[in-house]
Amino acid sequence: MVQLVGSLRRELAESLSTCKVLVVGAGGIGCELLKNLVLTGFKNIEVIDLDTIDVSNLNRQFLFQKKHVGKSKAQVAKESALQFCPSANITAYHDSIMNPDYNVEFFRKFMLVMNALDNRAARNHVNRMCLAADIPLIESGTAGYLGQVTVIKKGMTECYECQPKPTQKTFPGCTIRNTPSEPIHCIVWAKYLFNQLFGEEDADQEVSPDTADPEAAWNPEDTAARATASEKDGDIKRVSTKEWARSTGYDSVKLFNKLFKDDIMYLLTMDKLWKKRKAPIPLDWQQLENMRPQEESPASGLKDQQVLGVWGYCQLFQHSVETLRLQLQEKGEGSELVWDKDDPPAMDFVTAAANLRMHIFSMNMKSRFDVKSMAGNIIPAIATTNAVIAGLIVLEGLKILSGELESCRTIFLNKCPNLRKKLLVPCILDPPSANCYVCASKPEVTVKLNVQKTTVLSLQDRILKERFGMVAPDVQIEDGKGTILISSEEGETEGKVLLGFLSILQGIFLQEQEKHSDEELERDVEFEVVGEAPDKAPPPQNNQEEVNSITNGNKDSAQPSTSSKGEHHCSFCVHKQKHEELLGSIVEKVPTPLASGAIVASVKHSLQTFFVA
Amino acid sequence: MIDMIEKEDPVISEEEAAQYDRQIRLWGLDAQKRLRGSRVLLAGVGGLGAEVAKNLILAGVKGLTLLDHEQVSEDSCRAQFLVPVTAQGQNRAQASLERAQNLNPMVEVHADPGRIEDKPDDFFLQFDAVCLTGCSRDLMVRVDQLCSKHNIKVFCGDVHGYYGYMFCNLGPEHNYVEEKPKVVKPPADSNDGPEAKKAKIDPNETTMVKKTTSFCTLKEALEVDWTSEKAKAGLKRTPVDYFLLHVLLKFHTDKGRDPDPKSFPEDSQLLRQIRDDVLEALALSADLLNDDFISYCFSEMSPVCAVVGGVLGQEVVKD
Repeated sequence: MVQLVGSLRRELAESLSTCKVLVVGAGGIGCELLKNLVLTGFKNIEVIDLDTIDVSNLNRQFLFQKKHVGKSKAQVAKESALQFCPSANITAYHDSIMNPDYNVEFFRKFMLVMNALDNRAARNHVNRMCLAADIPLIESGTAGYLGQVTVIKKGMTECYECQPKPTQKTFPGCTIRNTPSEPIHCIVWAKYLFNQLFGEEDADQEVSPDTADPEAAWNPEDTAARATASEKDGDIKRVSTKEWARSTGYDSVKLFNKLFKDDIMYLLTMDKLWKKRKAPIPLDWQQLENMRPQEESPASGLKDQQVLGVWGYCQLFQHSVETLRLQLQEKGEGSELVWDKDDPPAMDFVTAAANLRMHIFSMNMKSRFDVKSMAGNIIPAIATTNAVIAGLIVLEGLKILSGELESCRTIFLNKCPNLRKKLLVPCILDPPSANCYVCASKPEVTVKLNVQKTTVLSLQDRILKERFGMVAPDVQIEDGKGTILISSEEGETEGKVLLGFLSILQGIFLQEQEKHSDEELERDVEFEVVGEAPDKAPPPQNNQEEVNSITNGNKDSAQPSTSSKGEHHCSFCVHKQKHEELLGSIVEKVPTPLASGAIVASVKHSLQTFFVA
Repeated sequence: MIDMIEKEDPVISEEEAAQYDRQIRLWGLDAQKRLRGSRVLLAGVGGLGAEVAKNLILAGVKGLTLLDHEQVSEDSCRAQFLVPVTAQGQNRAQASLERAQNLNPMVEVHADPGRIEDKPDDFFLQFDAVCLTGCSRDLMVRVDQLCSKHNIKVFCGDVHGYYGYMFCNLGPEHNYVEEKPKVVKPPADSNDGPEAKKAKIDPNETTMVKKTTSFCTLKEALEVDWTSEKAKAGLKRTPVDYFLLHVLLKFHTDKGRDPDPKSFPEDSQLLRQIRDDVLEALALSADLLNDDFISYCFSEMSPVCAVVGGVLGQEVVKD
């Protein structure tokens, strides 16, 4: 006879009260998740988050109140949850999950790990740790009205990195420097400018006109000639933007005229660029000041959402430059500022500079509100999406704890019901990808590089750490002597040596061992990562039988016809595509989409919403 | 009601702008203003009710009235997060008030310990939207009919174990606006060479398209005649849970309460019986809804509440 404790079977209720679970992240999803876990009966929960509470979190992270702003998210979340469930045993860590203290042994303590993160690096890391510890992981993400939940289990499902994820969108240098056509180009330019003037100067973030722009040359030989000319031109090009600004005392009018008049006039001399494009119109400070409009009456609505006139942005530019100059001065000699969307003068500066540039290039100017969204990569967020996703996470968790892994699904939350009137769309989980370099049994990847140009340090930093997300790699050359090339111990690596000098010929294998996982990687070291399939969106197909099986809510009907090549026969493909397009085009600091499964099938404990109309 | 409020044009303060920033970026300032002007009634502050309350309060409605005549029991503390563990014996709405208010001090939250059945018709007229959770069938039908007449939006929902449902009625003539991508036609004298002259869809530009739709009443939704040809054709696409809903509503009407885990054996028996009766009355086969559901529809499951509450809350907000 079935025995119930509340809604749950007794055995399940008992295992909930004894098992230990880990929640990574105490933000939008994390707060909802923590609440659901304690109310469902989980007794031993550990939660970790490196962040502190901000006022913009309060519209959805309901465990926090105004009085908590500035405090640790994990800590306050724990305290609030204990308020309505004092018997729960919650441990809070105000820390980064990527801290080496949280090693494989740490992860092995848990029966289940649930991610509530907003960035890919941490997700990759937790993915690897859970694979190494062989603990099931529930991954999730939300953006606006959309959301997604999936289950990752070593050997059974795809891991988070089995499918390549869309990379962050970047713009070519000449678009930013010479020929912007969209507001975002101007915003990126303004952020580069901030760094050039007040922050860390970066060679990849040039703001001055690019004379080596291939589009500017009438003949191909011209480009090369211009490039060498600009290098030889000792004058303006040699002096860094920051040095030049300093030499003028950060005079905002001089800065204005250089950036928005002189440099634009220079661009105009590159006439080929303007053959088919509207040419930019330089601004003159004096002229604008003479023509400035009368006082305008204040408009209704948010101040931030108003679009000022050109003179308004001139003033904003002047004002922010002055404030930032003072900030820099206060910090002392040789100091740098770091751009932060929540630092008002920094945000003002980017708003002003970007808008002035937009105006020059005949684009409609944008309000500070909009510029902040784009410059700060802000993802709109609401409580309800997170609530639904967190609910689904726990439901999947219950399946796992009941030993019903095969009934776990990837679930998509749509903005509106789809053609089949479904808001929530489950998909069968895909098996692991055979050539995934993270979870395959013999992980291997081929990287192409130029040994004459690559140093050991850049192998470590750019390739191993940045590209492959390794935290502390050890690299040995398989030359029979076990020569150590890179060591995770401090100070042991000869960073600056070119790989070529070490007589590494193409074809020699490097054997590497990631510190935090038991996996060994063999590499044939070269530069590009070879053999990665581009992320293609499969064509939508309709399959009547599968659709019926969903509506009947019966898990046994309709065997999924998964193709072993990972081809997608999901009749809800269109929505998957939309999800990935939308979520994939948003850059970091964002919940990213997960690889989704093939066939849509029914879910035993299906939650149906139906609109009867 | 909404029209009157719009004329006032409530101003969003800087404080509100900072707090609501992330959602204003999603649904826009106008929507936030409309939320700011609306008053909602929430009946039933159990697991589902608490979720909906949280979602509406965080969203920033003008006022939310929590209406519940039930007392806090031991189970209540496990089911929802607004009631302090020390509040046993108190009225559920009043016990939830403090935590609910703390979610967002900018919302006016009221607690009403009365019985919804006892409320006169004009009680409901002070609200822009009414949300009923855990109510009986007859009550919901009555309120639904009353509110539609006065252009008040109605939302209903409930959670039974792993199952949940929601219903909404936005009136016989509901005007709304849909965002559609703008179709840009290339200029006739385009000299970009051999490019095809297709109408381009610019993903960044959208236009708002006005539309109208009509919602049926709850009564109509529940009283579908399944013997009609049209209904039979639609039967295949109707989730079985619709019929489960009928069973559970009837259980509630007959026994005055929901299935209780403490009386699992008797209630299971009764559920099975009602299932047979209901399907027979609708002239449908008893096989349509098999026995499985029985052990999964007891009590309120927190995550299910979260999901239904989320969707329900979002529907109320969207309106």
